[in-house]
Amino acid sequence: MSVRRRKRLKAIVPTTSMADIAFLLNIFFMVTSNFIKEGHIELTQPASPDVAPLKESQISVTVDRNGDLWLQGRPCPVEVLEEGVKALLLEHAEKTVMVKIDKDVRQGKYGPVFLALSRAGAELALLGQKEKAKE
Amino acid sequence: MPLSKPKELFEPELTSFADIAILLIIFFILTTTFLVPAGSKLEIPSASSDPAKAEEKQLTVSLAGREVHYGPQGEKVTLEGLRQALLAQNFRAKPAAKRIVIVNSTPDVPYEVYFEVVMAITTADGVLALIEEDEKAKK
Repeated sequence: MSVRRRKRLKAIVPTTSMADIAFLLNIFFMVTSNFIKEGHIELTQPASPDVAPLKESQISVTVDRNGDLWLQGRPCPVEVLEEGVKALLLEHAEKTVMVKIDKDVRQGKYGPVFLALSRAGAELALLGQKEKAKE
Repeated sequence: MPLSKPKELFEPELTSFADIAILLIIFFILTTTFLVPAGSKLEIPSASSDPAKAEEKQLTVSLAGREVHYGPQGEKVTLEGLRQALLAQNFRAKPAAKRIVIVNSTPDVPYEVYFEVVMAITTADGVLALIEEDEKAKK
C-alpha cells in the first residue's frame, strides 16, 4: 500500500504589510508630534481652579523663575519684544501668543511684558495648571 | 551566439526595513508630548485707551503684595470673595464697554496672585484692562 505523504507547507510571515503599517504609524507621529522647544527654561506655572484647555499657538513668550524673558525659546530683551511679536504674528498669520510666566515672578518683570504684547496687538493665552477648587 | 542569462528577481530586504520603521516609531513615542496647554484666553482692550477716564467708571481691583482690594472703598477681599463679587456683576448681560475691570498692581505682586485674579475676571466674563506705568505717574 502506498502512503501519500502530504507536502509540508512553509510558514511565511508576510513582512511587507508590517513595514507599511510601521511607516503609516511613523507618518502619524511625525504629523502629530510637537517638540518641546523650551525644555531648558525653568519655571513653575501658577495654578487656578478656573483654567481650561486651550488651543496651542505657534508663538510663545516665557518669563522664567529668574525673571528672564524668552521669545520662542530664545532670550529676548523686553525692549524688542513688541517688534519681535509683531513680526511673528505676521509670519504665522495668527493672533494668539502663549504666555508662560513663573508663579514667583514679580509684577515689575511681567507687567512690561503684558504691555508690550498688548501693543503688538496679540491675544494672550495665559498658561497655568489646573488646581482643585478649595472646598 | 550565447544566450543571455535569465534576469534574477530582485527582492528588497524588507525585514530590516520594518526594523528601521519600528525604531523610528519608538523614537517618536518617546519624544512625543500629549500635553494639552491649559489656561485662559485674555481679551485686552487697546493699551492706547485713556485709563484715567476709564478708571472713573470701571471696576477696579488693586493688588499690593499678596493682598487683593476690590470695591468702591477698596476693601480687602480674599480670592474667593473676589470671584464671587465678580460673578455677582453678571458681566454676560452687559455690553463689552461695561465689562472692563482695571487691575492696578504694585511691582511686588507675584504672578501667582495676578494669575488667579485674571482667571477670576475672565471666568466672570469680564474684560481685563492694563494701565501703563507712565500714565499712572501722570495722575
